[in-house]
Amino acid sequence: MNENELIQGLKSGDEASFKYLVENYKDRIFNTAIGIVQNAEDAEDVAQEVFIQVYRSIHSFKGESKLSTWMYRIATTRSLDLLRSRKSKKRFGFMQRLFGEGNEPLYEIPDFNHPGVAMDRKETAAKLFKAIAQLPENQKAAFTLHKLEDLSYQEISEVMQTSVPAVESLMHRAKQNLKKILEKETD
Amino acid sequence: MNRLPVKNDVNMNNNRNKKIEEILGSLDGVQKATVPDFFYTRLKAKMEKGLEPATKKHWVLRPAFAITALVMVLVVNAFVIFRGDATSKTKNNIASGTESEILQSIASEYRLNDNNSSVYDLTQDK
Repeated sequence: MNENELIQGLKSGDEASFKYLVENYKDRIFNTAIGIVQNAEDAEDVAQEVFIQVYRSIHSFKGESKLSTWMYRIATTRSLDLLRSRKSKKRFGFMQRLFGEGNEPLYEIPDFNHPGVAMDRKETAAKLFKAIAQLPENQKAAFTLHKLEDLSYQEISEVMQTSVPAVESLMHRAKQNLKKILEKETD
Repeated sequence: MNRLPVKNDVNMNNNRNKKIEEILGSLDGVQKATVPDFFYTRLKAKMEKGLEPATKKHWVLRPAFAITALVMVLVVNAFVIFRGDATSKTKNNIASGTESEILQSIASEYRLNDNNSSVYDLTQDK
């Protein structure tokens, strides 16, 4: 099934087309989400939401970009949304503690172990993920898409709807910031 | 003799840089994460249940609700303050009147000055 046939099938509500889409894209979407949200369960939730959104809004897809580009964009946006909601929940929990409600300790994200990292690199990769979590959103998205999904700068620029030099700049700043964060951590 | 600490600092910096480079390179050649089994089954179940997305904000936390609530609190506060002010002004006006004026007004209100309306005087001949 080529991409045009797939899109036509999805637009006509064909279940076989939807199943084909899920089977062919689920790992790419999950891998993108897990790199950003750094939690397997949350990444699965995000992946499910991406497919639900694609199913519901396929009629608005005009085919100006590749289907995979559109889906990466949705996955990145959804993952960043989840991080924002996690942050606001954390802030709300802090306020509750200030006003004497909710005596439970604040939710701290534990060290994340990516399932695809080799055993001997688990410890260093966990440190890197902790540093990635502190990057600004767009740097985090660009770095994750490049390092974990092996997307080229050209592909990242299409996902993020920006230019290739802008992606190069984002990646450069991401690396500089990661170095600074890791220097601070190792002091 | 003085060169030793400098040499140690350089070594420490080199070690630290080496460690940072090692951390930064820890994702080189990383395998892609794969979604857990039966993903499609769970996805279909979620779609059939029509669950709301997990990332959807709680309605109480929405800016529209928060701003409306804040405006309502401010309006109620303003209402209470201005009403309280008006009541105290009325009280002051009453207090400034002479006692006889007040008594007179009460008397006229209850028609105590009217000699022909002594309805309680049962001994009076009609």
